[in-house]
Amino acid sequence: MENLKIRPEGKVWQDGVSKSITFIVTKDCQLACKYCYLVGKNSKERMSFETAKSAVDYILSHESQFTEASVVWDFIGGEPFLEVDLIDRICDYIKIEMYRRNHHWFGSYRFSLTTNGINYDTPKVQDFIKKNKNHLSVGLTIDGTKVKHDLNRIYKKSGKGSYEDVVRNIPLWMSQFPFEGTKVTISSEDIPYIAESVLHIYSLGIHQVNINCVFEDVWKEGDDKLFERQLVSLADSIIDNDLYKDYSCSFFSEHIGKPQNPIDENQNWCGAGQMLAIDANGIFYPCTRFAQYSLREKKAWTIGNIHDGIDQNRLRPFLTLDRCTQSKPECISCEVSRGCAWCQGENYDAAETPTAYQRATAICKMHKARVRANNYYWNKLYRKLELEGLREEFEKNKPKSKDLIC
Amino acid sequence: MLQYLIILLDDTSTSFCHYECTKVNRKLISLENLREGIFFAMEENMMIQFVYPDYNLPQEYEDVIESIDHSKIKPASCCDNADVVILNSLDETSDFQFQEGIPYVLRIDKENLFSYRQEVRDIIEKVARLNVVITDIDSFTDDDFTTYKEFLSESVGQLIDLYTKGMTPQFNLLTDRMMLHEMNNCNAGHETLTLAPDGNFYVCPAFYYASPCDGKEISLADVCKKGFSVGSLEKGLDVKNKHLYKIDYAPICRICDAFQCKRCAWLNRKTTLEVNTPSRQQCVVAHIERNASRMLLEGFRKKGFYLPEQEIKEIDYLDPFEIKRKR
Ligand code: SF4
Ligand code: SF4
Ligand code: SF4
Repeated sequence: MENLKIRPEGKVWQDGVSKSITFIVTKDCQLACKYCYLVGKNSKERMSFETAKSAVDYILSHESQFTEASVVWDFIGGEPFLEVDLIDRICDYIKIEMYRRNHHWFGSYRFSLTTNGINYDTPKVQDFIKKNKNHLSVGLTIDGTKVKHDLNRIYKKSGKGSYEDVVRNIPLWMSQFPFEGTKVTISSEDIPYIAESVLHIYSLGIHQVNINCVFEDVWKEGDDKLFERQLVSLADSIIDNDLYKDYSCSFFSEHIGKPQNPIDENQNWCGAGQMLAIDANGIFYPCTRFAQYSLREKKAWTIGNIHDGIDQNRLRPFLTLDRCTQSKPECISCEVSRGCAWCQGENYDAAETPTAYQRATAICKMHKARVRANNYYWNKLYRKLELEGLREEFEKNKPKSKDLIC
Repeated sequence: MLQYLIILLDDTSTSFCHYECTKVNRKLISLENLREGIFFAMEENMMIQFVYPDYNLPQEYEDVIESIDHSKIKPASCCDNADVVILNSLDETSDFQFQEGIPYVLRIDKENLFSYRQEVRDIIEKVARLNVVITDIDSFTDDDFTTYKEFLSESVGQLIDLYTKGMTPQFNLLTDRMMLHEMNNCNAGHETLTLAPDGNFYVCPAFYYASPCDGKEISLADVCKKGFSVGSLEKGLDVKNKHLYKIDYAPICRICDAFQCKRCAWLNRKTTLEVNTPSRQQCVVAHIERNASRMLLEGFRKKGFYLPEQEIKEIDYLDPFEIKRKR
């Protein structure tokens, strides 16, 4: 019998036991992606080293507030690599300070960035990568085929698509981070390109595609049907061409689409409040989505700053949020609710009062379509494996990870 | 379900709770709004509580007020025929003629409470019921918690002595929890609503007096544009996300047994930005009271006063947030 090795679904380093600390180093970016949620993006605000240093000092000197076993120091933008010198300096400072203070994170830390890939091969970026290689993960965003990618990811100044400039750097990136996946975000206009885009990303040598629909209320009449058709077509290609053995796409997961018990499965989905985000002015947020530049309707939701520290009272709503308290009765009794995600920031932005406790459900019909396609995927895959006599083998080797959060 | 309508008769109506009345200029509710408010309460089957300012109202107002069953909340400085009298500071209590059978509310900040403990306790002996409302709970520090605990345990001793002598005063911070078997919170937004002189409804008077644009609270800035109102006499009630005022939708409070706690939606909003989530200060203060009530109950039992149905368990936390986090 052929030995069936299945590529596991995406795993996040130290997921669940690590603190994620995000520095919003710049709001500038070379691109002006059409779906970008950073509504207040500008090229002026960049973090100073002094601000980052004060944030690091505050965090490391309050070890009792940060008891997680590990830490991910995350740098986002805009495009973070536009500030590679600054990031390099901050990372050096973090390493030195964790060591000097004998901090429990010194043995268990990681730096993380997600880049648009445009200046990935520049000497400065490459030097930074080499220097921090053992403690670094770099994600790279590509949306799919040239047509799909260039539909959204266009240069701010020229309006030209960025596909060629990104794809050129993929071999280098894959050689340095062979286990990284790429993140794809689906909005209404992207639906017709989903199947070909995922297959295209696989063909570039990227084995893992983390893909999700935006949470915002962008969906048009009929989008769900179109979406389902795309996913069924993708499922056919993955299964018929045996791609499931070596590639994964987060749309298909065995765990989703079941009802959830309101007592045992009452956890919050989103990690807001468990994370900490810091902006250029040294203001703390429960997640970057609560910073002003990410919000359409509401004002920033701050939880402190580098001078006064974290206001623990402001964290309490996030740390006690559960699924049922923020959900409508139809979501609590929903037959397919497992895997139906939400974003606390979008909940807040879309809510009728300034609260994080009103779950936004614009994604409802898309999730239901995903569940139908997902059922199709697993039924088809299991049927095929049974016919090939490989089902038992598959059950033994199948991935055990959970859905990616945020 | 809505049960009580609080009608602020004037912009300078006395505060009776945690908030400050921030308006300094008198502005009476219009007679028309007063009549409409009463009509609304009758339709909704709500009991009305009128909150008075510190001057006598024109007779035509009193005539309208007397047209419906109600209670009157009045400041001590102008409190004829009051059902509840508000003392806005300890100064107002010297030479004050307390009347029998009337509940008194003393609004006091922590500094005065801690500095004049004896003076506060003296009032307990003079009235049928004293409600102490601490006006700056949100600023309590760990040292304040310790002092508060001391104050309450001294008061436990005093109450046991008084009851032994045959007096039966009620003191909200200690005797309420002892008599309760379930939550008895303020329930603003769920059972109680406020009608302000501007003709708008608010969850409670605090939301009317709140100045959302003080510049410190940037998260409230969008509230600034619309204000905190939850409807008007003209357009009707419109309490958005009203379920969040119910205990079932308060993840920390629903596992709590500090039944006497006000669970103040306003303090929640102010400190945590969510009306359903209390601050640590509110929880710890309420638990110090709960535990002191437990001491009082034990003390009463030793003296042979028997409350057979009541039990207040020993617990090892002061903030149910910690319990919720462990689950
Ligand atoms: S949003 Fe829709 S699919 Fe998701 S849990 Fe609610 S009802 Fe179910
Ligand atoms: S919400 Fe209730 S307890 Fe809080 S100030 Fe208003 S009336 Fe008082
Ligand atoms: S003590 Fe805290 S948890 Fe308990 S009712 Fe009061 S505010 Fe809620």
